[in-house]
Amino acid sequence: MRHFILLFCLLLAACGKPDTHTDIRMALAQAPINLDPRYATDAASERINHLIYRPLVDFDANSRPQSALATWQQLSPLHYRFTLLAERAPFHDGSTLDAADVEATYSSLLALKDSPHAAEFANIRQVSAPDRNTVDFILHVPDEMFVSRLVIGIMPVEKIASGHDFSRQPVGNGPLGFLSWQGSVRLERVSDRQTYSLQEVRDPTVRVLKLLRGEVDLLQGDLPPELVKYLKQQPGIHLNEVQGSNYSYLGFNLEDAELARPEVRRAIAHAIDRKKILQEVLVGGSRAAAAILPPEHWAGHAALAPYEYDPERARALLQQAGIALPLKLVYKTSTDAQRVRLATVMQAQMREAGIQLEIRSLDWGTFFDDVKHGKFQLYGLTWVGIRTPEIYRLAFHSASVPPAGANRGRYRDALTDELIENSDWQGVSERVHQMLPYVPLWYEGQFVAMRSDLSGYNLKPDGSWDGLATVKKKSKTALKQQP
Amino acid sequence: MLRRLLGIVPVVFGVLLLTFLLVHLVPGDPVEVMLGESASSADRSALRAELGLDRPIHVQFGAYLGRLAQGDFGHSIHTREPVADMLAERLPATIRLALLSLAIAIAIGLPLGVVAALRANRWPDKLATFSSLALSAMPHFWLGPLLMMVFALWLGWLPVSGMERPASIVLPALTLGFGLSAILTRMTRASLLEVLNEDFVRTARAKGLPERDVILGHALRAGMLPVVTIVGLQLGSLLAGTVITETVFGWDGIGRLLVESIEKRDYPVTQACVLVIALIYVLVNLLTDLTYARLDPRVRYVS
Repeated sequence: MRHFILLFCLLLAACGKPDTHTDIRMALAQAPINLDPRYATDAASERINHLIYRPLVDFDANSRPQSALATWQQLSPLHYRFTLLAERAPFHDGSTLDAADVEATYSSLLALKDSPHAAEFANIRQVSAPDRNTVDFILHVPDEMFVSRLVIGIMPVEKIASGHDFSRQPVGNGPLGFLSWQGSVRLERVSDRQTYSLQEVRDPTVRVLKLLRGEVDLLQGDLPPELVKYLKQQPGIHLNEVQGSNYSYLGFNLEDAELARPEVRRAIAHAIDRKKILQEVLVGGSRAAAAILPPEHWAGHAALAPYEYDPERARALLQQAGIALPLKLVYKTSTDAQRVRLATVMQAQMREAGIQLEIRSLDWGTFFDDVKHGKFQLYGLTWVGIRTPEIYRLAFHSASVPPAGANRGRYRDALTDELIENSDWQGVSERVHQMLPYVPLWYEGQFVAMRSDLSGYNLKPDGSWDGLATVKKKSKTALKQQP
Repeated sequence: MLRRLLGIVPVVFGVLLLTFLLVHLVPGDPVEVMLGESASSADRSALRAELGLDRPIHVQFGAYLGRLAQGDFGHSIHTREPVADMLAERLPATIRLALLSLAIAIAIGLPLGVVAALRANRWPDKLATFSSLALSAMPHFWLGPLLMMVFALWLGWLPVSGMERPASIVLPALTLGFGLSAILTRMTRASLLEVLNEDFVRTARAKGLPERDVILGHALRAGMLPVVTIVGLQLGSLLAGTVITETVFGWDGIGRLLVESIEKRDYPVTQACVLVIALIYVLVNLLTDLTYARLDPRVRYVS
């Protein structure tokens, strides 16, 4: 028996040593679902696709569209011409990228009945490639945001024609090529053949343990603040934080008799102590929000200030509105531990203002279904990866009430509609700030935690994984030579 | 025996019907999940028709049964993968984990239970009782990370999680096996204590049989019936997937697949997972009943 135990321990010790990987290994909270850019909507798939494929257009730091694969001209209100850049990488299968690939990508997307992106491009009447470097888009109606919509990764025409399964075997011409997807997604950097392994590790504590043990090299976002603080203190781990741009908010149902009154919504806005939450419950780099678009966005409104925490004023506003205190409200959120924690903190803060908040945490499918169907009083969500002010049309225009859009709170305001129609984004921001169909909460900070042999990871405010295209891993010998 | 086998048919049909109804009754529409919030009503209707979701529910159920009879589980709504492939990928992982967990549980639980019964109310019994109570009180989501800290982070013997290496199975199997071993210890002890006072054990001792033969050949065999019941039930639940352990350890088993499919309202995957799990339960129960007959000659199945 003693020999058996000794043998078992030796066996464990022998097989338990971390592998000497050359891969850069990243732990993901959620695995990608579909790597076909015509179908991908989840954050993980879109972030990986942004590395595998290149779109016609990308965005600068102020979210203005900039050339990725092509420059453009607006020849008429309905006619956009894109000219492919002379220097462009070939597809990972070796074929060259030209206008026919762009035409095929968008034509195939328009033909799909089950693509979540098809509606976004329904305004395209015709897409054509008059020559190898030119693509023409003809629209049904003028759309000043059209260029910003062309962010779908370009795929090779031959593979589209042959019905290639891009969802599991993507082929693009981005900085990272696809190798395999069995359990983890393996990618390879085109420039130097550095390989990557992206594996799903759902539990945040386990992600941290894997990073500390060296089973993964980096993780980005999706950790509760206490684990981020813990990682900051660990030797051999570098943690970088930047300001984020993903917007968290509290949504109201404006068909509710009490919440339909602006004073009640304003009272709730004054009942939340954002500063305290930012200090205590959120990761570094988080900042209070006053509008969906952050101040640095080209259509952002830097002069808008977040609502101050003032429970006395909140109570007074409710009393002015003739509300009998305590005001009882139901707040719906998902079962995500951090979301429930934030809800609990807001519940305690609102109590000071005479608001009794009941928290109902539901599984994601039920929660989101309730939100879309207006079965809520208050809910909390985050808009991720917002690039254009079109979000105001989607979220606040009276014609965007579900199922026609994402005006989940059933907000109907003629002035807001008019401002949106006139593309007066500053005006829209001010009106929404005044009318409060949402209470703006914060832009959650972004962070990356890496083992010390990694460097060169550029962290982006939108939480993209573009840093993988530049990150470097020092070799073991180089590490040994360091003092 | 034949009647017992035939009894499986209505059980499986009931499971199919219930799952189909429940999956279609819970809030959440796969078409809305697929198309997002910007799609037009016409596009939604077209896709609903294409997926057959616009037909009356009994027609959908009939079509589903028809496909199932041909071995077609359908395709995942989200990944477009054949559901049969997804099951084939996940089920072996679950079976491996379940069998190893059960082996660990039996290896720990049975000897501890026997020792506790033979040394009742003395220190080995108290130690076994304490350890089994402690192990059964530890939830998997707590015990799992604790084992990771000890065996992966501090001792560096095992990987934290994942499925890449053969040793990756050890920690999830220990997490599941420890909890189950506690139940087996308690059950074996209680059952054996009862049997040790039976006349046939006294007779065996009176005949002058060595104590080892009395315990292993007579008492333990008779005392195994309740233990086999527990093992059968636990094996069924292990094979049905252990969502928390699979999630904590990144083990791609059927339990995780089921929960993820429910979250995404991926009807075909959910239905297929529940069907497979129900079948496993039924088969394991059948095996358990057959084992009774082997252990106790008084139990017989008459065709």
